[in-house]
Formats: sequence, C-alpha cells, structure tokens
Amino acid sequence: MSAARGDERLAYRGVFQRLFIRPEIGALLGAVGIWLFFWAVAVPFGNANGAAGILDYASTLGIMAVAVSMLMIGGEFDLSSGASTGAMGMLIILLVKETGDMGGAGLPYVVAIPLSFAVAMAIGFFNGWMVEKTALPSFIITLATFFVLKGAKLGFAKLIVDQIQVGRADEGAGYDFFQKIFAGEWDRTKHVWDTRDAVYLVGVLGGIALVTLAVHEMHFDRRSEGMKQSGLVQFVIGVAGTIAGIAVLHVTDNTTGNWLGAAVIAVGMAVALHGYSTWRFEPAGERGNLMLTTPVVKFAGLGVAALIGFVIAAKAWDANDTSAFIFPWTKQGFRATLMLIFGLSGYTLLMMAVAHAKRTSLATRAAVTMLISVATVALAFFIRSESTAVKFRSEAFGVMLAVALIVAIWAILGLLFTERRRPNSAADHLGGRLVTVGVVAAAIGFVFKLLFTVQAEIDAGIPPVKFSMRIVWFVGFTAVLTWVLGRTRFGSWTFAVGGNKEASRQVGVPAARTKTQLFMLVAGAAWLVGILLAFRLNTIQASTGDGEEFDYIIAAVVGGTLLTGGYGSAFGGSIGAIIVAMATLGIPFSRWNSDWRFLFLGVILLLAVIANRSIRARAEGLRR
Amino acid sequence: MTSSGTPLLELDNVTKYYGNIIALKDVSTHVNAGEVTCVLGDNGAGKSTFIKILAGVHQQTEGDIRVNGESVQFSSPRDALAVGIATVYQDLAMVPLMSVWRNFFLGAEPTKGIGPLKWIDQAKAKSIAKEEMAKMGIDIRDTEQPVGTLSGGERQSVAIARAGYFGAKVLILDEPTSALGVKQSGVVLKRIVEARRQGLAVIFITHNPRHAYPVGNRFLILNRGHSMGSFAKEDISVDELTGLMAGGAELEALEHELHAALD
Repeated sequence: MSAARGDERLAYRGVFQRLFIRPEIGALLGAVGIWLFFWAVAVPFGNANGAAGILDYASTLGIMAVAVSMLMIGGEFDLSSGASTGAMGMLIILLVKETGDMGGAGLPYVVAIPLSFAVAMAIGFFNGWMVEKTALPSFIITLATFFVLKGAKLGFAKLIVDQIQVGRADEGAGYDFFQKIFAGEWDRTKHVWDTRDAVYLVGVLGGIALVTLAVHEMHFDRRSEGMKQSGLVQFVIGVAGTIAGIAVLHVTDNTTGNWLGAAVIAVGMAVALHGYSTWRFEPAGERGNLMLTTPVVKFAGLGVAALIGFVIAAKAWDANDTSAFIFPWTKQGFRATLMLIFGLSGYTLLMMAVAHAKRTSLATRAAVTMLISVATVALAFFIRSESTAVKFRSEAFGVMLAVALIVAIWAILGLLFTERRRPNSAADHLGGRLVTVGVVAAAIGFVFKLLFTVQAEIDAGIPPVKFSMRIVWFVGFTAVLTWVLGRTRFGSWTFAVGGNKEASRQVGVPAARTKTQLFMLVAGAAWLVGILLAFRLNTIQASTGDGEEFDYIIAAVVGGTLLTGGYGSAFGGSIGAIIVAMATLGIPFSRWNSDWRFLFLGVILLLAVIANRSIRARAEGLRR
Repeated sequence: MTSSGTPLLELDNVTKYYGNIIALKDVSTHVNAGEVTCVLGDNGAGKSTFIKILAGVHQQTEGDIRVNGESVQFSSPRDALAVGIATVYQDLAMVPLMSVWRNFFLGAEPTKGIGPLKWIDQAKAKSIAKEEMAKMGIDIRDTEQPVGTLSGGERQSVAIARAGYFGAKVLILDEPTSALGVKQSGVVLKRIVEARRQGLAVIFITHNPRHAYPVGNRFLILNRGHSMGSFAKEDISVDELTGLMAGGAELEALEHELHAALD
C-alpha cells in the first residue's frame, strides 16, 4: 500500500509509537490508571485535600527517587540513601540544639545548614570513592554505609541526649526564617480567586486541543502542493464555534442548554479539525474496502465482551457496600477491581483490533476506531445512569463524551487524509513543541485549580487544605535534574557510564568522577530531605528513613529506570514517587485495610518491570 | 618503500612480555598519511597486544614507537589520543541505548552557556553528527535514534566518522569486518578507502586477507607473536599473504588433511 520512500528497511513508526518511546511514558499512563481507579472508589481522590496529601507524601520520597533514578541510570545503587535522610535530619538538629547537659552544638541555622551539607557530600564521596577504588558492587559498599549510619544514629542519639530520638529543631537560632523556606504552608482556603475556574478551563481545554493538533501534525502527511488557505478559514470558524459552545454550556444551567452547548461543541470541533487537516494535510488516495479479517473480528469481539463484563460487574454488586467479601476484598473493592480489569482489557483489546485493522485497509481501521467511540458513548451513559455521585454524573460523563468525540473525528479524518509514512523532522518537531505547550497549559490549569478556592466552595464549607513547601522543593528538584540529565554533559555521561562504562572511558568520559558525583547527588538529596523532615517533625527518631531506600528504588523502577543502568529518566522517578504515594494513601482513603499496602506495591513493581522491559526492547530496536 | 620522507607512525622492533610470556617479538612496520597498513594474523597472533600498545593501554617492553620521527612513550589512552592516534575497538566503544549524536560527541560534547552554567549545544551537535555521517556516505535520518538500532556497518561508520572528526591522524581499526556480513563488510571497506582518501593513516587489523588486500598499501603479518615480515603491496600476492598468515607449511598440512578426510 505504501510506496517505500527513502532507503530504509525499517518500518515507519506510527505517531503513538513515536510519542510513547520515552522511559517515563509507561509510568505516566500507570499514574493516570491508578488515579482513575482510586478516583472511582475513594472520595479524597479528585479533591484538593487528597491532592495535598498525595503530593506531600510523594515529595520527600520523590526528591530521593529522582536522585536515585539518576544514580541507577549511572549503573549504581545506594542502599544507604534511606538511612542518610534520617542521619542528616538528626545531624542538623544536633548542630542547632541548645548547648548544655543534654544539648547539642548550639550553632545557628546559617552555619548548621552548610556544615551538614558538607558532611552529606563527604558521605556521598566516600560511597563513590570506595565503589571506584575497590571495584566491588555498590550494593555491598553502600550496605556497609547503611549499617554504619544506622549504628551511628542510634549510638550518637543515646550518647548525646540519652534517648532514641533527637528533638527540638525549633531551638536553633534562625528557626523562624528557615521554617518558612522548608516547611511553610500555602493555605488554600485563604486564597479566594473567583476567575480560577476560567483559568482552569482555558488551561485544560487548550492543553487538550494542542495535544490533539500535535497528534494530527505527527500522523498525517503534509500537503505536497503548499497549504490550502480555505482550510485555515474553516479551522478558525470551527474554533470560534467550539468556544461559543463552551460558553453556552457555562451560561445555561439546565439540561436543554447543556445538550445544546454540547452539540455546538461537537460540530465546532469537527469543523475545526477538518479545517486544520484540509489546510495542512494531503488528501487521501486509496481507502480500500471494509474487510473484517479474523483477527480484527476476534479482538473487537473480545473487547466488546470485556466492556459488557464491566457493565455486569457494575450491576452485580452495591457500590457502597464495604463489608468483607472474597478475601482480601470488600464488596466495593472487588467490584472496583473487576471493573478496572474489564475496562482496561476491553480498551486494550479494542486497540489491538485497530492495530490489526490497520494492516487490512483504511476503511476497516476507521470502522473499528468508530466502534471504540460508540462503545465509549454507551459506557458514558451507563455510568451516568448507574451512579448518584456528581463526579460520575457530570465529570466522568463529560470527559468520556469528549474522548468519544475526538476518537470519532480521528476515525473519519483517517479516511479523508493521507497518513505520513516517511520521516519529516519539521512536522515532528512542531508536534513535539505543541505537546510540550499543551501539557504545560493543562498543568498550569490544574495548579491554579489546586492553589486557589472560590467563594462558592467557602460557602459550601469545604475543609481547609494546606500545601506544604516541600512540594515546591520536590517540583524544583525534579525540574533541575531533568534538565541536567537531558541537556548537560554530566547528564550525557550519566547515561554513558551506566550503559557501557568501558566504552565511555575509552572515548574520554571521566567515568569514576561521574559515578562519584552521582553518589554525592544522592547524598545531597538525602541532606535536603533530612532538613525537610527536621522542620516538619521537629524530632527525628534514630530509625527514621531506615529501609526507605527500597521505596526509592521502587519509585525509580516504576518510573521507567532500568535496574541494570543506562536507561531511564529523572522525571519518571518523580512520577514513580507519585504512584507509590497514591498506592500507599489510596488504600486508607478507600477505607480498605492498609495492611495490604505492600502487596499492592509489589504487584505494581512487578507490572512496571515487565512494562519497562518491553519499552527498552523497543528502544534498542529489537523485534519481539 | 612507496613514499618519501618520515612515516607518520613507525614501529621499530617493538617487543612485549607479559611476565615470561612473549606476546610480541621484534615487530617493525610503518604507516604514512593517506595509506593503509594492514595487520594480519590468526587468533593468538598478537594483534590485540599490538593495538593495545599503539592505543596506549599497555607499554612495550622493548623497542621504539615514533610519530613523525619523534620517539614517543604512551602511558595512557589519552596520550595516544593527544598525538592523534584514535582506536576504533571491536566492541566499538559505543553505548547502544544512547542516540547517534550523543555517541558521536560522547566525552567531547560542544557546550554553550553562561559562566559555570553550561549545557550541550544540541542543535550544533546534531547537525555536525549528521553532516559527518553524510561525508561517510551514510544518511542518518534521525540522529536521535539509539545506536543500538543501527546496523553493524553503520555503527562502524559512526565510530570512524567520530575518530576523523576529532582530529585523528592515525586510525586504528580493530577487526572492523569480523562480525559483519558480506555486504556490510563492503560498506566498511569503502569507509576505509574514504578515510585514506581524506589523508588519514589507517591501521587495519584483520584476520581476513581478502578484506585486507584490496584496501591495503602495506601488510604486516603476525604469527604467534612474531613478525613474519612487513611487505608493500607490490611485493606480495593475496595467496602468499594467506599462506604466511597461517604459517605457510601449517596450512599446507591442514589442506592435505582436509583432502584426505573428504576423499
């Protein structure tokens, strides 16, 4: 069907393959899936209170996970990282604590903070230097460091204050100033901003629109004979129509008005996307006939059957019944689990049907894609009719209809325009930029929604929500390390020493120095977390942090970092931390027995490792 | 002697012992700019030791290495690189999961930035990598693709292009064709001719005389650590080369045995 242009034997990658070939994509999709799961069963998921809790839990874990991800990309482990967070917290308290019989060094914070940082750097340097000098596995060296730190914490605590905990970070000079930096809080209830919802809407809708355009840009072939201006005009009209529809939806407050608004939005979006495609993309040639081959029918049939299973599971049990059912589930949890499994497998099977249909003809692909859209509409109405909760009746319903609409338009445009089967770096570049801007716009929308409240919410008496400063440290740390890993020589060398140490040494990468610096980076992260803990808890236990190094490694692996090094991302580590936080907090939020937390984490870890294996195989260009 | 003046790189009675094992004994040869000297030998002939001495990984026990007539002593691979001797190892010194451009510039990334805050000039790195590969006759569509997705011949080309770009004067190729198929080997041999044309001195290590003969100007034959002689192309035929490589008489005996077995 496709004329082989260029000289390559490699099959051309589709747009989703190109977008998804990033280490953190699996984690991102996993995070969305887990969030949806808990959103469906637990009240705090989806409100600001829950977000504050999850981000708070994720932030100290995430700072470590991001640093540990980088170390693991560099091919090493640090088992002392958990214990050093507690050790650093304890050290700083001992440095600032008042002098006296049971006291500390009595230093002001301005001295104690850099001093403890120097100690952290020394620990990191020691780990790296030992690993390089002895050429022993870092597992063994840092296990030794772990025991040294664990012992030192308990020993010094007993020696100096004769307790297994060291207390009173607030005794230090300069506490108030640094408390604001490390443990300040943003009280959402005190920040009322009534245009918040408008910003949120513009951000999220604009973000979705940009990502949709990006997918089109990366999927279709550019017009061979220049842009067609009439399409641009149609695009603008369509966008105007969509905005008008959204306005109608917001102004009116009754069912007829809602439906009218939705209809205007649907037509507007179809007109806009068709116009955009007419403007830029090559019209389609051969469409082929509708051919229902065996694999297409099989996968589509199984997919629809799974979605029917979803409906049956939802009907079979009471959504609010939290009584014990089949061990270890409650009835509610069992229902949610079944629905999740059926829903996910249903959509996966339908997408596999699309993949098979693609090999037969454009018409078949369009038909199966349309089936997904129809099934989504049907599910949306089912969920609305089943549920009493507002989040299902309006939010989920609206989102599902919007998704169904975009999928339907996508199916039709696939028939009208030509898919690109050759590389076009200009189009891919533009697509990449659009995705970035879209994601940032949506993120800004969400951030405003979380940070500000509106008068209506205050009047409704929502509980107070506070966001901690540690979240800012987490976000900032992730952003900086993502930049370092992707854009600097140090980042390049990190990948290199983890991917092939001998090779990088041969071409002149200072491998030993790079690895040592990575150990120091982890120690620096532990120092930051230690300070955050000291200011939050005021008192540090001798056992604080011990054993948490495995949580960091789990978060890093879930985030797409390869256990064997050479592949991964810092950003993925932060997503991994959020997943671990959601899994940890989601269980009590859902009022299930939290004894099962580790079982849940173990399953997530296993799934993540399996997913990462296949992502890596694709990145290496291995077939099957 | 086909060329005039001092050779770019010259080895004079180089000998290497590992303890009481003689790895290399009295090896002499030379290579001029714009020429290819092939080092041939069967497994265990001392080819690896030969490369490692030239690359600065090991030091010779006796003998002299001269670059442009000046005696040199390498104590590390960096020293060899500094005088312009670049080695492309059999395992290619590449990181398969990293992109083509990152591999191309690994260890010498071009940076820009303010003061101590420096980042990689990605646009520049990508365009240079693409350009240098094009000079080698390879069209890399996307320099972002991982090196692991390239074919063996393309990977060799990245390594050769990289060495050339970073100012190598002498290029040492360690068995570049041994893991490749017939067509890919042809691609690499063309790169060698291309590098020679660009004025590089190439030392091509191989155990395949059929690959060496068409591209080489000079042939050094090693056998069990001893030099079997260094010949200019006009002084030797490909069959003589093969014979010398396997130790002449040994190969004849083997041939008789094989015939006997087949009859």
